[in-house]
Parts: sequence; structure tokens; C-alpha cells
Amino acid sequence: MLLALLLCYAGFTALCLSMPRHHDELLGHKPSASRRQALKIGGWLLLCLSLWAAVTVNGWSFGLVDWFAVLMLSALTLVLLMPYRPRLALALAGLSLLASPVAAWAQC
Amino acid sequence: MKEGFRQAMAWLHTWVGLVFGWLLFAIFLTGTLAYFNDETTHWMQPEIPSRPLNAEASLTLAQNYLQQHAAGASRWLIDLPDARDPGLTVRWQQSPGKPGERGRFESKTLDAQTGSEVQGRESMGGEFFYRFHFQLQMPYPWGRWLATIAAMVMFVALITGIITHKKIFKDFFTFRPRKGQRSWLDGHNAVGVLVLPFHLMITYSSLVIFMSMVMPASILASYGSDVNKFYDEVFPASNTPERANIAQALAPMAPLLAKASEQWSGGHTARLSVNNPGDANATVVLSRAGDGVVHDFGRAVTFNGVSGQMLGSTPNQPMAMAVGGAFYGLHMGHFAGPVLRWLYFICGLAGTAMIGTGLVIWLGKRQLKHAKSGVMPFELRLVEVLNIASMAGLVTAIAVFFLANRLLPTGLAGRADWEVNAFFIAWGLSVVHALSRPGRKAWIEQLACGALLFTAVPVINALTTPWNLAATLTQGDWTLAGFDLTCFATGVFLAWAAWKMQRAASTVSVKNPRREKARAITLEQGAN
Repeated sequence: MLLALLLCYAGFTALCLSMPRHHDELLGHKPSASRRQALKIGGWLLLCLSLWAAVTVNGWSFGLVDWFAVLMLSALTLVLLMPYRPRLALALAGLSLLASPVAAWAQC
Repeated sequence: MKEGFRQAMAWLHTWVGLVFGWLLFAIFLTGTLAYFNDETTHWMQPEIPSRPLNAEASLTLAQNYLQQHAAGASRWLIDLPDARDPGLTVRWQQSPGKPGERGRFESKTLDAQTGSEVQGRESMGGEFFYRFHFQLQMPYPWGRWLATIAAMVMFVALITGIITHKKIFKDFFTFRPRKGQRSWLDGHNAVGVLVLPFHLMITYSSLVIFMSMVMPASILASYGSDVNKFYDEVFPASNTPERANIAQALAPMAPLLAKASEQWSGGHTARLSVNNPGDANATVVLSRAGDGVVHDFGRAVTFNGVSGQMLGSTPNQPMAMAVGGAFYGLHMGHFAGPVLRWLYFICGLAGTAMIGTGLVIWLGKRQLKHAKSGVMPFELRLVEVLNIASMAGLVTAIAVFFLANRLLPTGLAGRADWEVNAFFIAWGLSVVHALSRPGRKAWIEQLACGALLFTAVPVINALTTPWNLAATLTQGDWTLAGFDLTCFATGVFLAWAAWKMQRAASTVSVKNPRREKARAITLEQGAN
């Protein structure tokens, strides 16, 4: 479940950054079109990967429930964190990306 | 045309949301607490010790106990302890005096390790919240009807809410605090949209669970007035064999657990029922624990009680029932381990917060118009009082319920009922209080009161029982320790919310009244 959570959080952060308003809020400038595109694709890919991570660990029935749970939790965390601690929100996303290979390795 | 439609939906969302909001808030909050049903019961009956699980040993102890104390009974029921519910419960039904009568049931709780009787204090425990969640403390079937209607309204409110929300994707990540009414709406949208899968699942599944109440037509059409026949066909009762009236000792039941587990490819047994124990025609029915996402209605294996030979097992449920079982299982979350259970809990709180913010928005919007004159029309005052009592008052009443469990004398007659009475008296007082104080003051005072009571829970627990936080932490009883810590955290949260409201109130008096809403979002989260 941890790997799925990390990937979900990173994915949502990427999707969030792909929106000019939030990119501006978090990083101080508007993103270029290509950057937006990359973030969007990256974000969706990470979300898909997190689904895979949840399902391989726990099978389809439990895995799907787990995935939805971490999906909602990570989005909620990101949205509540952003206005109060924007840097922490970003740092957590970076950390999740860094930690996910470790979590993947632990999971296998 | 499209705008007209959206406006109509917004109207519907506003008004069904208001009328059922208070009830839905209570249903959601108690339902959320019911995810920790067994844990709450464990805290409220700490006399029943939590032991390392060993199903075989516990079953042997239960069998020995029943053979000593209930040898002549017509039926035994044994509930095995699990990770959440530590008690080993044995019940037996006396042979009825006359044929056709139902024998009396007796129930005892045993220590799962020693087999000795333990007497937990009389309490409904977490079961109270679970029951209230769908029966609303009303006589059958009115509470269930009302809860079903509330579920239907919730579903309508969700769908209309989605339609009304113009920028679901554009505002997906948006939450702007400290912006007054705007923040409340952002908060309402954020908890609504981000946790939408949960909201839809929980609401739709509640309709599926109450299917026969929501849509009885299909049953009535096929079975007419003989509705019971439908249930007999759907849930065939295990036919109890007649007594042979030949005394024959019951074989040890512990080995049956492994045999049943084999049948269920590793599933566990939650309950055993023994028919005609001590008779040549004894049967043992092992029912499976709800450990899958898809709830299995009455999955059981039957054995001959004397020879231990398997007599039969219920077949796999048909597809339609499995779909129903999946919704049931998802709603109840019996399968969830500790982490997932906490996530369920958080989602439930988010749902509660969504309803609460909605109620506050309704009032906030309308209050603005009357801010200058300072006089509130009757209907707005009514909504305000109900908002306060149904949110802050309910939370306070929950703390009172927990405290009553520790403070009422253990020998009190009807003790379990008095705990429930304490809850409702406290809730009733919160209405009186909200009526007698101006809105903001009432909010602050009730939140502060709730904060005080919740932080008092671990303290009173430590003063009245040996299971204080230090002891439970060193013993590693995480259920008891977690309960105390959660109560304390809730208290701190409520105190913070009250403080925020207080601060907002003091700025309101010097600045413009629009500011007052700004702080209140925190309150909403605090109230949960």
C-alpha cells in the first residue's frame, strides 16, 4: 500500500503542477506548454502505476479498495497541504518519487 | 436550457441538503465511529482481556465450559475472538419447556486464554453507534425507514452536487483558506470531490443494503403478501436435525476449524453453532468470518458432531447475491486491516465534514443579508440552533457517552441504558444551550465543552480503571491506547477550533462581518 500511496501522491502533484494557476502558486511562474504536457502525462502514468502497485500486492478485489483509499487520501493531503505549507507539499512529492524505488524493492 | 437545468439542480441540492443535513451529519458521524465498533466496545468493556489469538485453544476452552455448564442445552453458539474483538463469547439455548416454544438464551464471555468467566461492565459499547447509524434510536421499522430515506436524499444531494459544480476539474486542487464564504465553498467542494468515490460507494451501498425497503415491488410482485417466503428462499435456514435421544459425546471441535478452512481456501471461522450437543444427532455449523471484500451471506460448513464427518457446505452464492455482497462488504469494511480501517475512518470524517460545511454555507450565505440589521429572522435562527446542536452538540454528547461508561457505578441497574440516556440528555442540553445563547458564543462554548470532555476521557479512564495510557502502552494493547490517544487528539482539535472561532469573533467585532466566516472552516474539521 505504501508504494501505491507514494506514486499516487507524486502523480497528483504532477497533475496539479500541470495547471498554470497551481504551477504559479507553487513554483512562482507559469509553465511552458511542453512542460504542462509532460507533467500531465507523467501524472497520469504515475497514477496508473500506483494502480498496478496496489493490485499486484493484494489482488484485484483488495487492491482496488486499497488503491481508491490511497487515491483519496493522497489527493486530500495534497489539497489541504498546498495553501498552508506549499513547500512541504512539493518536498513530499519529491520524497515520494525518491522513496518509491525503495518501496518497490521492499515490496518485491 | 442548460443553465436552467443546473439552477434547478442547485435548488434541489440546497434544499434537500438543508432539510436532511442535520440527520445525515449524525448518520455519517456515528457510521464513521462504527468502523471502530469492536475497538470501542473493547475500550468500554476493558475487563475482557485481549489475548494472543489461538482459535483451536479458545474453542477447546469454550467446549469444555459448555460441556460443564450447558450440557442439556438444545443449541450452543460460540463466537471466537479475533484481532478486534478479544472476547470468547458462548451462548446456549435451553431446551424449550413445551415443543414449539423458543428456549431462553444465556450468554457468557470467557477469557480466551484461561477459559474462566469474565464479567465486562454492562455497556452497549460501539454497538450503540452502529445501531444508531441506521436505526436512529427509533422503534422498528421507523428508524430504518428514515435512514433509508436519508440515504436516498444523500444520493440525490451527491448527484445534484456534481451537476451543480461547474468546475470539477478546473478546481480539483483548489482550496483557498481565509477567504470567507469562498473558503467554505472550496472546502465543501474539496472534501466532496476528492473523496467522491467513497461518498458514492457508501451511499449507493446503503441503498443496496436496504434494498427490500427501497424497492419492495419486485418481491411483492412475485411473493405477494408472503414476504417471508422470499427470505426463506434467499437465505435457506440450516435445517436442524431432530434429537435422536441417544446420548453420545460430542467429538472435540478444534480439528474442525482446519477442515473448514480447507473448504474456504484459507478462510477463518468466526462462529460455531452446535445443534443437539451430547446427542447422537449433533451437528456443528461453522460460519466463515467476513474477511473478503465480497461479503458472503451465510457461508457455512456443517459437520456431524459425533464423527466429525463433513455433512455439507453452502454453495457459492449466485452472481446477483455476490454483487449485493460486494456492496455490503465495501460498506461495512469488515475485511479492512488497521491501516485501511483508518482510511475508511478518514473518508467517513471527510463525508461528515462535507455535510457540515454544506450546512454552514447555507446559513452563511443567508446571514450576510441580515448582518447589517443585526436581527436574524426566525428561520435562520432555527437553522443556526440546529446547526450548533447537531454538530458541536453531537460531538459533545459522544464524549459524554464515553465518560458515562467510566463514571457510572458498575452495579447500576440498567447501566447500558443509562450510558445511552446520558448521551441523549447531553445532546438535548446542547439544544437548550444553543437556544439560550447567541450563535457564535454557543458555538465557542459547546466546542470548548467538547474539547474539555474529550481530553478528560483518558484522564478519567486512568483515574477509574487500571487500564491507563501508560499501562496500555507498555502492554502493547494498541486498541485501548489508541482509543485514549484518539480521544485526546479530538479534544485538542476541538479546543483549537473553539480558539479559532473565539479569535475570529474578536476580529469580527472590529472589522466587517464577512471576516467571520473565514476562520470557521477549521471549525468544521475540528468538529469531527
